[in-house]
Amino acid sequence: MPSLELTVRALEYAFYAAGAFFFLAGSVGLVRFPDVYTRLHALTKSDNLGLGLVCVGLAVRSGSAIIALKLLVIWLLVLVAGATACYLVAEAARSAGVKPWTREAQR
Amino acid sequence: MDPVLTALAAFIMLTALLGIWRIERGPTGADRMLAAMLFGTTGVALALVLAEAVGRGGLRDAALVFALLGALTAVAFVKRAWGAGD
Amino acid sequence: MSVVFDILLLGALVWIAVGALSEMRLFKSVVMFVVFGLFLAIAWVRLDAPDVALAEAAIGAGVTGALMLDAVGHLRARSTPYPTPPRDEDADA
Repeated sequence: MPSLELTVRALEYAFYAAGAFFFLAGSVGLVRFPDVYTRLHALTKSDNLGLGLVCVGLAVRSGSAIIALKLLVIWLLVLVAGATACYLVAEAARSAGVKPWTREAQR
Repeated sequence: MDPVLTALAAFIMLTALLGIWRIERGPTGADRMLAAMLFGTTGVALALVLAEAVGRGGLRDAALVFALLGALTAVAFVKRAWGAGD
Repeated sequence: MSVVFDILLLGALVWIAVGALSEMRLFKSVVMFVVFGLFLAIAWVRLDAPDVALAEAAIGAGVTGALMLDAVGHLRARSTPYPTPPRDEDADA
């Protein structure tokens, strides 16, 4: 039977691993996806989720409500800023005439 | 410093460095801007992890400024510098 | 383990600085400059100097980057008419 401290530590490391995985997924998506719009998906969804998981892990580690609240506020600010910037860049790309990638256009 | 936190910071740094490849390749200016936004998000994560690793809470304020910076450069890019050519 | 992180950070700093200086296309160079400012701010964080990191991120990468993007936009807007010389009927009208 593991102690409570060990369980909390394992939970924290699990959150770090999940966050690192989503950061890696976002970066691979940015490199591999075919056009601006799909790369926006990889960036603004996957990376922000990875940041949120790392924030949860750090909050578990700190064990303080104030620090956890601050980490939550930072994550919410990144979410709002990321969503706004995503919309702006997508709209600018569309009005500049960047064509969305389709499977048919590749053949 | 906790070796797990430094390993996490090094891994996040490596995933950020993948974005430089996208800056090199392009093809449009928006793609390069996306890589800069990637560095904004990963910079926030790095600052938070390092703040916990060295035990200095004031470094979290730097993470807040990183978050603002990503939005600021994206807005400046869309308002002023958009061109599909490069 | 932290040595690995430091080597990665320093290598990335030098690499990005060389990339920003040796790039001929202005926009790409400016994006490299913004990224360089971010990594330099992370280096200040690593050196345990949060106030310098704040100033570097806000002024060095944020405001200067936005001003440079603005300048690139102005240069592009101004440089488009130049390649075609003005014709005579435009000069008369």
